[in-house]
Amino acid sequence: MPDPETEVSSAASAPRFEPDERWVPADERRFGLDRRTLRPTLAVFALVFVMSVVLPVINATVPYHDRVRAGDVMEIEGDVTFVPEAGWGITSGLRASHAPLSGAYPATATVEDGAMKFTLRTGSFHGDADKLLDQIETTSDALNRGRGVHVTGAPTTIVTDQGKQGATVRVTGPHTAGVIAAFVFDSRGVEAVATGPSDAGSEPSTAVLRMIGSVSHSAEGK
Amino acid sequence: MTTPTLADLDRARDVALDLSGWGRRFVFYQPRNFAFWGYLALVGIGVHTFLSTLTREYNAYGEAIGLAVTSFAIYAALFWWFTDRIDHYAKLPHKLMVVAFLWGGFAATGAMAVNANDAILALYAKTFGQVWALNWGAGLAAPFNEEVAKGSGLLLLIALAQRHIRTAFDGFILGAFIGLGFQIVEDITYAMTSAGTQFGANQIGASVSTIVLRMVSGVAAHILYSAIFCAGVVYLLGRPAEPRKIGRGLLLIAIPMLLHGTWDSLAAIAGPSALTLIGLLIATVVVALIIVARVYRLTVTRERDFVRDVLAPEQARNVITPVELDAMAGNRKARKAYRKANRSRRERRRARYILNAAYALADELAAARGADTDRVRFARSEVGRIRAGIPSPW
Repeated sequence: MPDPETEVSSAASAPRFEPDERWVPADERRFGLDRRTLRPTLAVFALVFVMSVVLPVINATVPYHDRVRAGDVMEIEGDVTFVPEAGWGITSGLRASHAPLSGAYPATATVEDGAMKFTLRTGSFHGDADKLLDQIETTSDALNRGRGVHVTGAPTTIVTDQGKQGATVRVTGPHTAGVIAAFVFDSRGVEAVATGPSDAGSEPSTAVLRMIGSVSHSAEGK
Repeated sequence: MTTPTLADLDRARDVALDLSGWGRRFVFYQPRNFAFWGYLALVGIGVHTFLSTLTREYNAYGEAIGLAVTSFAIYAALFWWFTDRIDHYAKLPHKLMVVAFLWGGFAATGAMAVNANDAILALYAKTFGQVWALNWGAGLAAPFNEEVAKGSGLLLLIALAQRHIRTAFDGFILGAFIGLGFQIVEDITYAMTSAGTQFGANQIGASVSTIVLRMVSGVAAHILYSAIFCAGVVYLLGRPAEPRKIGRGLLLIAIPMLLHGTWDSLAAIAGPSALTLIGLLIATVVVALIIVARVYRLTVTRERDFVRDVLAPEQARNVITPVELDAMAGNRKARKAYRKANRSRRERRRARYILNAAYALADELAAARGADTDRVRFARSEVGRIRAGIPSPW
């Protein structure tokens, strides 16, 4: 170990000069930028382009091939099912008896036919169908803030093939029109939303009415 | 073997400070740095996306958003403190940690991963069917999109802070902060989604279980994945203080992807048995924690060497003792053993203060690039004062 008494410290009293963080050596400048920072930044931009442009564009060009066959039944969480119209495309959700490995069905299912879209969604809810419809309207208004789809007209009663009474209301938006139906099975709320282009008329099609009528809860019939 | 002279030790200190970048000031505003503009643009897009969603949903789910933001802010503060605490060798500037956090929170999520996840999940469903996509889609989309989105931020950070990010440990720490940002924003988004699961009614009840679950599972999630991934990126690229090790780099990049994929596929792997799911959850967390602890030990060695090189001249000048130097450049156990070696409680407490003052001296030496400035001399005198048991005049 060196003897501090005899050895003179070599530490300088002022820090050695280091160029400012923003300084760029003259031979590293390109278009006023630090040449060394171009490649990593362009590499990140390329990744962003692939992730945010290329992949979504590829996805948009690939159509859904999964078509509803006669006799298909869609199932969502909580043993809620509906019978989709044959020929419509399944864009999300699962057929009954085709559960994922976890055994848990997703909470929503959507089928589409051209610009027509039918979505069934479920969640826990305490109250009756009218209250659920009010809640859906309140949440939808809060999310849309007067823009987009909004409720028009008074709610009416709707009864499913299973005999379950629900509430329904018409909705319209700038370019869409449709119907929302609400049912409550025990403490499980079910919302059916069917929308299509507004020029197709405000009356729900028979296909939509059939799908709403087919909504059922397996525990209900038992 | 010849004993190094003080001049040799001072030179070794200068080399260590140059190599490590320890103590250098980080300047964020660098208009001539292309990475600065890239970072600003992508974080800007992410902030805009997140705030647009938040303001839109706030009207409907205000209560749940309030709860989620408050809870995750506290959670983030705890993780921030912990991650900052483990970086107690050649410390990185706090400003750089904030820059990393913001990348993870906004650019990696809103400008990158979300778009890619949605597209790939839909493509999986179209190609392999809805059931397959539900089983394996998340596990085969998120690990690639999210880890790459987070990890790519380190490329920009290296370009922004070339003089600071020098070791795999720097990548490990910054990766943890990138992961923390990602985790917090993702958690808030999950809480917003769950607030709507009961049609907007009972928002708190609907979101609280998600918040708790995300907090518990977050212990071994994005923070950990990104820390390992970014350490791997540094090994893969090589830095002035970290020679390139391609194999190790690729392995450390692959491990978090595998962990992430396993985590996202647990429900499918476990099947309908809740017990199996819980068992697998715990096993995955344990494995992840063991791996991250090993990566920490692997990467921190170089940082400890820097501490030894920076403080060796102080030991030679009798400012600190050889035992103190060993404790400072050692692990937590070494510091604990050093403190416990003192008999009385008062001596143990003083030993702790001496180490803290010596770490502060190391930071001052780093900021002064090894020069003998007034601040360094004062920090040195503080070590002596505490050792002598003299109360602070300040």
